[in-house]
Amino acid sequence: MDRRIFLGFAGPSIIVMLLLMVLPLAMAIWLGMHFMTFDNVLEPQWVGLRNFVAALGDERFWQSFNFTALYIAVVVPSWIVIGFIVALLLDQVTGLARGVYLSIFLLPFIIVPIVGTIMFRQLFEPSGLLRWVYQELLNERFRYTEQTVKALIFLHGIWYVTPFTLVVYFAGLQTLPPDLMEASGIDGASRLQKIRHIVIPHVRSLTLFILLFSIMDSYRVFDSVFVLTGLNPLYKANTIMTYTYQTATQFERLGKANAMAVLTVIGIMVVLIPNLYLSWKEQIAER
Amino acid sequence: MDPVTSRPGRVLIHVFLLAFAIYSVVPFLWTALQSIKKLRDASSRTPKFLFSPTLENYEDLWLRSTPENPEALAFFLLLALSLLVCLLIFAQHIPLRRNLVYGIALSGLVGLLWLIPQVLDMARFYDFFINTLIVTVGTIVVSISFGCLAGYALARYAGLLGVVVLIAALAFRALPRLAYVLPYYWIGSALNLIDSHILVIITLVAVNQPFTIWMLRSFFMEIPKDLEESAMVDGAGRLVAFARVIIPVMWPGIVATALFTLLLAYNEFLLVRILTQTNWTLPVAISRFTGGEDPRHLTLAAAAAVSSTIPIIIVILFFQKQLVKGLAAGAVKG
Repeated sequence: MDRRIFLGFAGPSIIVMLLLMVLPLAMAIWLGMHFMTFDNVLEPQWVGLRNFVAALGDERFWQSFNFTALYIAVVVPSWIVIGFIVALLLDQVTGLARGVYLSIFLLPFIIVPIVGTIMFRQLFEPSGLLRWVYQELLNERFRYTEQTVKALIFLHGIWYVTPFTLVVYFAGLQTLPPDLMEASGIDGASRLQKIRHIVIPHVRSLTLFILLFSIMDSYRVFDSVFVLTGLNPLYKANTIMTYTYQTATQFERLGKANAMAVLTVIGIMVVLIPNLYLSWKEQIAER
Repeated sequence: MDPVTSRPGRVLIHVFLLAFAIYSVVPFLWTALQSIKKLRDASSRTPKFLFSPTLENYEDLWLRSTPENPEALAFFLLLALSLLVCLLIFAQHIPLRRNLVYGIALSGLVGLLWLIPQVLDMARFYDFFINTLIVTVGTIVVSISFGCLAGYALARYAGLLGVVVLIAALAFRALPRLAYVLPYYWIGSALNLIDSHILVIITLVAVNQPFTIWMLRSFFMEIPKDLEESAMVDGAGRLVAFARVIIPVMWPGIVATALFTLLLAYNEFLLVRILTQTNWTLPVAISRFTGGEDPRHLTLAAAAAVSSTIPIIIVILFFQKQLVKGLAAGAVKG
């Protein structure tokens, strides 16, 4: 296939991405240099770098950044560990039971995230099931406080994405080399030794893939925090995304919100660039 | 891994898996239970498991006023719906041209969706449901058409430009949504398109395009090159070979990708929330039931959550294999 035909086929897609991804990114930088509210969307007022300086000096921006970092630090390792363990267990089951378990496990991941969060919230409403369990077990009233709301956000994050890592690891386990497993069995390796020395190295590339993607995805967590906190500043549980959203819609500082979005993009580059580099090398080698 | 054979070991495995299954479904079961309780039962501080079930929450959610003969209407609507679904499922066995059968079934469904508000006094939730359908179907059609062309080209073209496009797409996929969505709001305001389906569809196509072309490309890579080359030797142009020879072989891959596009479009909250004012889709409409002082929001939110989950569960029951395969394939191939 020559270049002309390639451009003919890929053209529509490339144009869509140029017009609706490259251009908006450039616009975000440009709009970030303006003072803009919902009243003057079409005649924004030039303020230079003031929005960027204001965002970097905004204590709440850093607070939301720190909470996002904490979220990643709690949730990503949980996804990997729980997903791996459940995949190992599921691998032990065969036949109909395997399919039934798999369908049930996938449920949290496929439903609308907003709806999943609302369902989670239903458990902790004043009449909710888990609130009642909590109060019966600990003999103390459940309240929405900074700690409990943050714990709920983590718990929901784990509930929602573990199915994904589980399925990925489960697929990885199906490609284990059988002769290696057999040989190690003859050599008298225990089950734990096999997991430690064969299975974990075998899924290493999957773990790297999950790690990179889940860091990038949890960096932009929005829906669950939006529903569970209702953007109430009392809980100090804003993530970068919800705080940017709040700056745009509630405080009506669209210019500053754009500047914050641009800063967020720069922040993700730390993880993104190594990832892109790896993919680039892989694609060049494959060519 | 070799199977555990000892009896206590196997019991333990099932205990753990069952516990994880319960953890996965408890929010669903509880919400479903809440949605069929009267408000008084639903707001009881000690959970009630014995109560007289009611459909009044669903009625309040979907209907503005109760019709005179609800049973008969419900019966006829369900009958029509199940007939059309049966037609879709058994299309292969009907001795007519298959496209004709699909055409009849689909126009029947559209007709039914149009008919419902004519005979029933539907609440706004129905409009949100229709909005979601329009946006989802529109996104799938545009996204898959563009994505197939690009995915095919990227699978066959060996030049450096192809790699650049792929890597750029990967970068776009990873960036936080708000960096696009806020400029989209500006573009939408400038073109006076805020609150229109068109704006939501094209922006959803754009944000999902990177994922779509990567996934479709991985399926096209599995198709041997000889296939279209032999067709082209026979005198067909590349476009004809693509349409007549490649696409029919690609159907499973297209269905799997369309399935993920469906989920992405159906689930999108942030983008729709910012780009619409009243023409919401279901996720945005449902988020309105959280917070607020109205006590009825408790059961209405439950009914809305269940209502919006049922279509997805139906789709997944039909396409579970493609879903698991797609998740695993996307991951294993990077």
